[in-house]
Amino acid sequence: MPDSLFGCRPFIVVKEVVRLEDYVIVTNNPLVEEREGKTHTVELYDVGIEEILRLIRDRVHSGQRLLTHPLSGSVKPGETPYKSVLMTRGKEPFDLMSVELIQSAIEACGKFSFKRDEYDERAMRDFRIIDWTLIKSALESADSF
Amino acid sequence: MKLEMGYIHISDIEFSSESKIENGKLYVSTDALKALVLEDEKLKDVSFDIARPGESVRITPVKDVIEPRVKVEGKGGVFPGIISKVDTVGSGKTYALKGMAVVTAGKIVGFQEGVIDMTGPGADYTPFSKLINLVMVCEPVDEIEPHEYEKAVRIAGFKAAAYIGELAKSLTPDETKVYETETIKEGMAKYPDLPRVAYVHMLQSQGLLHDTYVYGVDAKQILPTMLNPTECMDGAIVSGNCVSACDKNPTYVHQNNPVVHDLLEEHGKTINFVCHIVTNENVYLADKQRSSDWTAKLCKMLDLDGVIVSQEGFGNPDTDLIMNCKKIEAEGIKTVIITDEYAGRDGKSQSLADADAAADAVVTAGNANQVVVLPKLDKVIGTLDYITKIAGASENTLREDGSLEVEIQVITGATNEVGFTTLSAR
Repeated sequence: MPDSLFGCRPFIVVKEVVRLEDYVIVTNNPLVEEREGKTHTVELYDVGIEEILRLIRDRVHSGQRLLTHPLSGSVKPGETPYKSVLMTRGKEPFDLMSVELIQSAIEACGKFSFKRDEYDERAMRDFRIIDWTLIKSALESADSF
Repeated sequence: MKLEMGYIHISDIEFSSESKIENGKLYVSTDALKALVLEDEKLKDVSFDIARPGESVRITPVKDVIEPRVKVEGKGGVFPGIISKVDTVGSGKTYALKGMAVVTAGKIVGFQEGVIDMTGPGADYTPFSKLINLVMVCEPVDEIEPHEYEKAVRIAGFKAAAYIGELAKSLTPDETKVYETETIKEGMAKYPDLPRVAYVHMLQSQGLLHDTYVYGVDAKQILPTMLNPTECMDGAIVSGNCVSACDKNPTYVHQNNPVVHDLLEEHGKTINFVCHIVTNENVYLADKQRSSDWTAKLCKMLDLDGVIVSQEGFGNPDTDLIMNCKKIEAEGIKTVIITDEYAGRDGKSQSLADADAAADAVVTAGNANQVVVLPKLDKVIGTLDYITKIAGASENTLREDGSLEVEIQVITGATNEVGFTTLSAR
């Protein structure tokens, strides 16, 4: 069996190329599960914004890599109750960028205050939609191969 | 490439049965404009109002601000790839109506849209309070998704601005300015001793309701690319961005980007303004790496000496900003970055979500968490329904006397990151 075809190296799956089965969506936004749950692995947690970020941080510490930015959307943590991220499913060597990004997102939480009581259902629906559209834009990139 | 900009100064706007511009005054037929806007079946109604500088008027929630323009000579039309054919713009002759704007408003994403006060302390924080604003409040049909509503309002604003701009086509401009740039080779020969400088312009591109369009292409899908500086000036970049009122770039800001203007002013005097590079701010981390690699690569290939980088937004874009800065500096090219800050109400917190030692030349557009009290104004165009819910407001926002205690991030353009703002240390 030759190791090349027409002089080319065999196709190698590089680290940045992830497949549908390689990643999970971690979220506290029920709309993400509703819209994407049939086609993607969605792990939905019924927790607040800070808790979901801490949960993501714990996963980063255990070797899962972030595939999207946790401060997506210029919607500040504390100004939105929902956050969704894409992460690798399997564990990888420690990824410093993931650690820095999630730590910075948790620290940014302290600058803002989100009080769920202040928002009516219409506003909460807007928050869910915005978070979903942000993760959807990442899925378009992730699923483009 | 050579672009002649003709400026027609508008001194007032009045509703009338006939649309025309006479002696600097714009007369607008709301019937004609309404018919144009309601061509879109996603919109069921639109109302128009006029807000003049100094009037006791608050406009909210603001979506976009657009300067009416018309292409008089040369290739292309206004807003190419969107409402005109996709021909390359940036040459020939274009007229702009100065002193006025079309402002689109509507409850698209209640918590993320902005405020323009036409008087009082709020007016001091937004450049758009200095314009005579023709405001369109667009009502969608029932059961519409927010991104469909955004698109309908976005296109309605461009159509209205193009309709008004067209009224100026046969007029003689009050003022004319010519902008001319050379090709890469010509520029090198003409200005061999001047530092070679480019502008890296980061465009909001995080998904639906956070979009920017370049010749009608969603910037999320572009690879970093080069524009002639006059292309942006001629309407090649438009906003589809609904979020972050204080530091988003409305279409008006793209049309009048001060970084582009100032670099062109210095072109041939203190610098050689080589080109305008546009890049994106995607959510997906591999996209960030690809785009920042490509931006740095283009800067290197152009043998630049210096680069100005501006971002749009906070958080996610901070990472792109620092990646661009680090990688361009690593190529031996000096960078200056322009950003705003979210440093907390007391200004003591970390300003950006990312940082690096390479970012040692930073221009700030101000602290978006700064608190300001906006007095009650006599008239509201739009609705105050969302005023306690938009980013930078709180349950204490609406005070007993009707005044609003808010962070300046609620004000459209307050900390604009291309410097189209009124805040200054001077």
